[in-house]
Amino acid sequence: MPQNKFDVVIIGGGVIGASIARELSRFKINIAVIDKASELPSGASRANSSMIHGGFDDKPGSVKAKFCVKGNAMYHVLKDELDFHVDECGSYVCAFSQKEIEHLEKLLGYGKANGVPGVEIITGDKLREREPNVSPEIIAALWSPSAGIVNNFEAVAAFMESAQINGAKLFLETQVTGLIINNDEILGVHTNHGDFLAPIVINAAGVHSAEVSSWAGDTSFKIIPTRGEYFLLDRTTKGFIHSFLFACPSDAGKGITVAQTAEGNLLAGPTATPQEDPEDHATTPEGLDEVLRGARRLVPNFPVNLNITTFAGVRANTDTGDFAIKLLDKPRGFMNVAGIKSPGFTSAPAIAEYVSGLLKQELADRVEFKVNEKFVPERKHIPRFLFMSNQERAELAKKDPAYAQIVCRCETVTEGQVIEAIRRGARTVSAVKMWTRAGTGRCQSGFCCPRVAEILSRELNIPLDQVTRHGGESRLLVGKTKEFILNKD
Amino acid sequence: MNNNIDVLIIGAGPAGVAAGIGARKEGAEHVVILERDWDAGGILQQCIHPGFGLRTFREELTGPEYMHRFIKEARDIGVEFRQNTMVFEMDNNPDGSMGVWTMSKERGIERLEPKAIVLAMGCRERPLGAIRIPGSRPAGVYTAGTAQRFVNMEGYMPGKKAVILGSGDIGLIMARRMIWEGAEVEGVYEVMSWPGGLRRNIAQCLDDYGIPFHLETTVTKIHGKDRLEGVTVAKIDPATRAPIAGTERFVECDTLLLAIGLIPENELSRMAGVEIHPVTGGPVVNDLLQTSKAPVFAAGNVVIVYDLVDNVSDEGLIAGTNAARYAAGKLDKDMRRIPVKGGDNVRLFSPQYVTGERDVTIFMRITHPIEGACKVIANTDTGIKLYNQRLRYARPGEMNEVRLKAEQVKELGSDVNAIIIDIQPA
Repeated sequence: MPQNKFDVVIIGGGVIGASIARELSRFKINIAVIDKASELPSGASRANSSMIHGGFDDKPGSVKAKFCVKGNAMYHVLKDELDFHVDECGSYVCAFSQKEIEHLEKLLGYGKANGVPGVEIITGDKLREREPNVSPEIIAALWSPSAGIVNNFEAVAAFMESAQINGAKLFLETQVTGLIINNDEILGVHTNHGDFLAPIVINAAGVHSAEVSSWAGDTSFKIIPTRGEYFLLDRTTKGFIHSFLFACPSDAGKGITVAQTAEGNLLAGPTATPQEDPEDHATTPEGLDEVLRGARRLVPNFPVNLNITTFAGVRANTDTGDFAIKLLDKPRGFMNVAGIKSPGFTSAPAIAEYVSGLLKQELADRVEFKVNEKFVPERKHIPRFLFMSNQERAELAKKDPAYAQIVCRCETVTEGQVIEAIRRGARTVSAVKMWTRAGTGRCQSGFCCPRVAEILSRELNIPLDQVTRHGGESRLLVGKTKEFILNKD
Repeated sequence: MNNNIDVLIIGAGPAGVAAGIGARKEGAEHVVILERDWDAGGILQQCIHPGFGLRTFREELTGPEYMHRFIKEARDIGVEFRQNTMVFEMDNNPDGSMGVWTMSKERGIERLEPKAIVLAMGCRERPLGAIRIPGSRPAGVYTAGTAQRFVNMEGYMPGKKAVILGSGDIGLIMARRMIWEGAEVEGVYEVMSWPGGLRRNIAQCLDDYGIPFHLETTVTKIHGKDRLEGVTVAKIDPATRAPIAGTERFVECDTLLLAIGLIPENELSRMAGVEIHPVTGGPVVNDLLQTSKAPVFAAGNVVIVYDLVDNVSDEGLIAGTNAARYAAGKLDKDMRRIPVKGGDNVRLFSPQYVTGERDVTIFMRITHPIEGACKVIANTDTGIKLYNQRLRYARPGEMNEVRLKAEQVKELGSDVNAIIIDIQPA
């Protein structure tokens, strides 16, 4: 098979593209995942709440409810199989008024009908026994014990790496510029690095998926890029709260939540602001104020003085309000898996399973779906030095002394981890960050940035001033000292 | 496991190396300094500009030259240095015994049980997240110290046109450094009504190079996707610190350097259960630089951020000396401790207790500048006047000192419950 010829091309390497790639790698087929970014995740999967929803928000019988509940159950297995962090912390939807209790009762009904395990309504006092820092004004809460929070960087890396272990190919910095269609059949995609030919093309392009879909002639949905802004606090806040806290939802979305991440940081957000530009990840004064107000409503003493960073993600909301998952009749072989808004991260593995089954059933004439008998379900993440016992650390350091050399002081990341991240495909400072947590701590990479850059330069054998923050034009350094002076005259 | 270490010092910057010298001179047999970087010297390694040691050596030295003198002396008298060695955990044992976990390529993971410890981890720079500037997150935004490491130690330039936010000393030094390297510096912006750094640095680093200095102005937005493309700056209302609408201005630049404050680095101190002062962010210490945990001492910027390295070295020496005394069982366990309290215009100070065991310098920083004759005073809560020194001015960016003699403190009656320090208009 020529280099650019595949059985399936997946446009987009977010949680949807990656989990579909992994699911399809159970078959003996050639898969290409194409993403324009230099590192994954880069779109909505990169900056979101990373929640594993219980599955009580959506109407019984709806597509979202089905995928969400199933996806939730899958994460509790996948986290061990694929070795990514999930904190099975549970969630509370908090009611501040009698009217909101009615809303909780509606959600409880949905939860029970959707088969969400263990959902119940508890009193505000009971909630405060478990979460002493929540507002005294909360009078009741809906508890969903199967909800959790995932390390989204690790999860996407895990899905993608598992797919790659099982034969899928990843093409970064590759931008799809058009579809190749002939006689109502999909033949592949055009990219800035040439054509990729395949009889099946999956559109998992996130905020750009409506545009890709329109190239195939399907304009049945529009993407409304929706910005969500967040605060992320220092890990010293660990235990300030232990679960995922929601207020009752409004029309604008599920509202501002406060949660403890899988690693113990406090997270608050998101806003839900529609915007034109799908690539604008800027935070705003208004947005950050709104997050802070919302967080303080749930947790009055929200310790914002321990904030280490603010960020914004852009999610792919649709004008229909639904996921846009559809195998098109024309062009045959083209499938949209688009508009995967909340609970998208939760639903991803269930959607992947569905997509894989559907393709096998409907497109067997285009691609032979033979079972990949060598499929390896497991993969291991890079050792997480921070969360090891001292005995484990000592054993690791004995095997490889690079695991006894510190690179990131805040998150205790070692040189061994950084080298391993690069070996597994990290090419930028922020890719190393997403693989290892180097730079996610309270000094926000002031200490480790020069050290990580140096290791990248050494391991990739590139000059230090070619190292980028996140690919593209994001070079950290612009040249050597003395160059400007010497070139001035 | 004992490892026979009398005094273990965490950090080989100016405080730590001086502590090593102090401990050895006091008779401690086995003194070890742990340093996580590849060489001793701490942040002074990258401070290649002159201006260090004027008081100690009556010479103007560069940072590395200043440190070299101390490091050489420490090595000559038998202080052991372990580089590339990070302390990642400290025990907080109820019985007061100490355990320190270290890691290094050479020695792997190791637990040390010294008789006494000196915390000398210094401080770190406040990052962007601490001040919540909206906008995007492109490459080209660095703390001034990180940029200084790139320029002075790696030999690379972070950018060609810089804006500097905050007027802490490293920011001022880096403004000049960027100019020397042929880069442009559009201006230095300070949210407060007065400079954060020393006057001498404003004069030597900004004025001499014609770099505009804007007080009561801050960066309100960061622009750029991949690489920084510019920042929005705006005047602020000094009463509320909120940006004043209509004063916004876009400044094109590819680099934003932050010099917005330094934070004592006390993660380990917290792990060890050492009491941390809510305002200084450093350990609560007495005049022997002993913390709330008897075997643990602390000196330098880990306690309180100093202006001058000479003071840091002095404090390191004191901490090392007393740590050695503690290790030898020579420190009185039931010393009287008189609390020091700050008056209305005192933002922070150290030490927080005096024992009368030695002459002490209390270092303090004020909240609001006094541009005119004023005096530094120290009185007991019973009204005894201990210190009164006239000054021509007092500024938050420049530390002030109260000096007390050991006898003065020793003589105080048991009715004295506090010593109150302050700076007031004369």
